[in-house]
Amino acid sequence: MTIDLTDGVCVVTGAGRGLGRAMAIELCSRGVQVVGLGRNVADLRAVSPVAGPGFHAVTCDVSDTAQVAAAFSNIATIGPVSILINNAAVYPRRDFLEEDTDSFMRSVAVNLGGTVACTRHALEVMVDRGFGRILNVATFADIAPLPASSAYAVSKGAARIFTRALVADLGDRFPDIVIGDWMPGMLATTMGIPDGLDPAQSAKWGASLALWHDPSLTGTVFEMDRELPPQRSLKRRLLDKALLRKQVIRSLG
Amino acid sequence: MADKAQTWDVIVIGAGMGGGIATRVLAEAGLRVLVLEKGRAGYRAERTSITANALDPVARSVRSLWPGQIKARIDGRDSAFFGPIGAGIGGSSVFYAATLERPERHDLDHSAERPHPTGGWPVSYGEMAPWYDRAEQMLQVCGDADPLSDNPCNNLRPAPEMAAGDAELAGSLRAVGLHPYRSHSAIRYVAGCLDCLGHKCPKPCKMDGRSAGIEPAMETGRVTVMDQVDVAALRGKGGYITHIEAAVDGTKRKFEAKAVVLAAGALNTPRLLLASTQDWPTGAANSSDWVGRGLMFHLNEMFALWPRKSAGFAGPSKAISMRDLYWKDGLRFGVVQAMGIDAGYGEILHYLRNMLARTRLGKLRVVRELVRIPAMIAARLFGNAKVFVGILEDLPYPENRVTFDASDGDDIAIKYDLHPELRTRRRAFRKAIKRVIKGHKTMFLNRGAELNFGHPCGTCRMGNDPETSVVNAECRTHDLANCWIVDASVMPTSMGVNPSLTIAANAMRVATVLAASLKGEARDD
Repeated sequence: MTIDLTDGVCVVTGAGRGLGRAMAIELCSRGVQVVGLGRNVADLRAVSPVAGPGFHAVTCDVSDTAQVAAAFSNIATIGPVSILINNAAVYPRRDFLEEDTDSFMRSVAVNLGGTVACTRHALEVMVDRGFGRILNVATFADIAPLPASSAYAVSKGAARIFTRALVADLGDRFPDIVIGDWMPGMLATTMGIPDGLDPAQSAKWGASLALWHDPSLTGTVFEMDRELPPQRSLKRRLLDKALLRKQVIRSLG
Repeated sequence: MADKAQTWDVIVIGAGMGGGIATRVLAEAGLRVLVLEKGRAGYRAERTSITANALDPVARSVRSLWPGQIKARIDGRDSAFFGPIGAGIGGSSVFYAATLERPERHDLDHSAERPHPTGGWPVSYGEMAPWYDRAEQMLQVCGDADPLSDNPCNNLRPAPEMAAGDAELAGSLRAVGLHPYRSHSAIRYVAGCLDCLGHKCPKPCKMDGRSAGIEPAMETGRVTVMDQVDVAALRGKGGYITHIEAAVDGTKRKFEAKAVVLAAGALNTPRLLLASTQDWPTGAANSSDWVGRGLMFHLNEMFALWPRKSAGFAGPSKAISMRDLYWKDGLRFGVVQAMGIDAGYGEILHYLRNMLARTRLGKLRVVRELVRIPAMIAARLFGNAKVFVGILEDLPYPENRVTFDASDGDDIAIKYDLHPELRTRRRAFRKAIKRVIKGHKTMFLNRGAELNFGHPCGTCRMGNDPETSVVNAECRTHDLANCWIVDASVMPTSMGVNPSLTIAANAMRVATVLAASLKGEARDD
C-alpha cells in the first residue's frame, strides 16, 4: 500500500481571500479535501459555496499559537494532514519610522510565526507517516527590500531561510516529506498589484506543485510555473561544466 | 520517581543487535526488562543514512548516529573521524546491509588441519549451530546455501529470484570455477521494499535489532525502553553489581536489577567497564586487564569487478557471496561479497573523503572539493563495474585496544597496529582474489589497509581462563556474578564473515541461559 497526497487533507492558510482562496477552490475542484484556515469567518464561509463540499473552514489566526494548536486538533478529526500550504501573510505598507517594535513583530508573528506554528503541527502527522508535502508561498521581497516593506521583507525572507533550515533538519531523514518554496508571481490581489496575474491562474500552478510528490523537489524554489535553478558560485559552475552536469529546469505541465 | 517503584529483573545497556535480541528473549521468557539506550528513540518512518553528513553531536544523535568521533592511533599515527556506528533503537543494525552469514566451523573450532589462533572459542561451532538456526528463524534470513559448505543452514527462507544482472554475473563467475551463492539477508522484501542497505528501513521489512528485537520485545508488555540515557558507571561490591549510575536529561539517576546485560557494542562496552573505577580501581570485570584489549576489525579489500560483456547491467550487484577463498592454502581469509553499491560518483567521493578525513590534508576544504575530480574520473572509468569486498579476518592482539579517559566524552579512543602477520595475510588474500576471479577484469579500490570500523569486536573476550579473558563461555563476566555481555565484545576472534548473525545467535544463547538462571533463583526464593 502506498500513500497518496490526496489520501488525507490539504491545509491552506489564509484561505479566506486572494491566492489562498483561489488555491482552496482549485484544489477542491481536483478532488482534494481542503481545510482552509483564516481569521475572517465571513470570508471563509464565502469560500464554501464556490469550493464545494470538499472545503472545510476552520477559523484561526495563525499568529496565535493557541489558536493554531486548536485548529490542528480540529483538523485531526477531519483527516491526517498530507499537504500544508503556508500562504497566510500580511503586508502592511509602513515606513520603518512608523513601525514600533510591537507592530513590526506582529507582522513577523503572522508571516514567520504562522508558518513555523502550522509546519510544526502538520509535521506531527507527517513524521509519523513519513509522508507529506509542505509548500511555502514565498517572495523575492527579501532580496532588495522596497521602501515601506521592512516587516514584510524581513519576515518573508526569514520564512525562506526557515524552509532551508527545515530541509537541513528533515530532508535526509524523511525524503518523502517534500518541502519547497513557491513564488506565485505578482498577483492582482489586495496584497499584490492592480494589473497583476489573476490569482485563479496562479492557483492552478500552486495546486499542481502542491500535488507533486517527488522527493527531488525538496529544497527547490519554483517561480510561477517554473523551477528556479539554485544560485551557483563561479567555482560551482566551473565544476559542473567539468563534470558535464547539465541543469535540468522543470516546469509544471 | 517512577523507576524507584519499578523493579526489574534485568537491565540491558544498549538497544542494538545484541541488546535488542537479548531483550526479546528475556521478555518472552517472562522477565521484566529495562533497556537503557544512549541514542534517541526517533521516528519509525525515518530513512536516515549511515553516511548522513552531520558533524554536530546533536544532529548526529537525532540521526541515530553515535555523537562522538573515533580518535584512533593506527600504526602510531593519530586521526579522528566519525565511524559507522549507530546510537538509537536498533543501534548500528538499523543501518546495516542485513547480511547475516554464518561463520565456518574453523572460525570457532580448533583442529589439526585448521588450527585456531586462540585454540578455539570456549563455545564450539556444534554448540552454536542450534542458535544460528534460531537466529536465522528469528531474523527471517533468506538466501541460498553455500555450495562449498557442509554446515547446513536449516532455517534459510527462499530468497526472491536474483535480479537478471546478478544471475548472469553469478553464472559467469561459476563458469570460471567459483562458487557464488545468494547472500544471506535479513530483508523480507515486503511490497514496496526500499532495499535499505546503509539506511534505516521505515517498513517492517529489514530485520534488525529494532524490528526483530526491541519492537517484538515491547509487545510482551514487560519491557521499558529509556532513550537518551548516558550510563556513567557500574557500581557494586566485590563480585556483584548493585546498581547503575546514569544521567538522564542531565539528572543523575540510579537503576537496579538482579542482572545487568551489557550490549553497548565492542567499542563502548569496554569503555563503560573501564569507566567504572569507583568500586574496582582498574575497571569493572577487569582483573585480567583484558577489558578493551584484543580489538579487531575486519580488513576490507574492495575491488571493482567488471561483468563480462554478456552480463553487463545497470545498478549495483548486491546478492552475491563466495567462499572460495574463505580458507585457502592454510590461510584464514574470509568471504567475498557484493557491496550493494555502484562504483558511482557519489559513492567514490564519499569513500575518498572518508579516507581523507583520517589524514591531516582532509581538514582542508579545498582538498575536500578537489577530491571531486579523481572521483569523477573514477566514476567514468568504472562504468558498470560492480563493487565487491573481500572480508579479511583480523586476529586478537592485547596491544590493539579501546582505552578510556573521562575527558574523552563521547569520543572513542582506540589504539591499533597492523601486525606483520596481518599484512602478510592481506597480501596473500589480494593475490588470491586476483588469481581466482579469472576471465573478469578486476581492480582493487584500496591500496592501503582499510579497517572496517563497522565491524569492531573482541574487546571483552570470551574464554575459560579468567587470567586471559573477560567473560566465560556463557558470556558472564568472570569477576561479576550478575554481569553478562552480549555484543561483539565477547568474540575471541573476528571470523571471516559479517558479525551480525553471530551477535544475534550468541545473544539468544546467553539470554536463554540468563533467563533460566533468574527463574531458577525465583523458584529457590
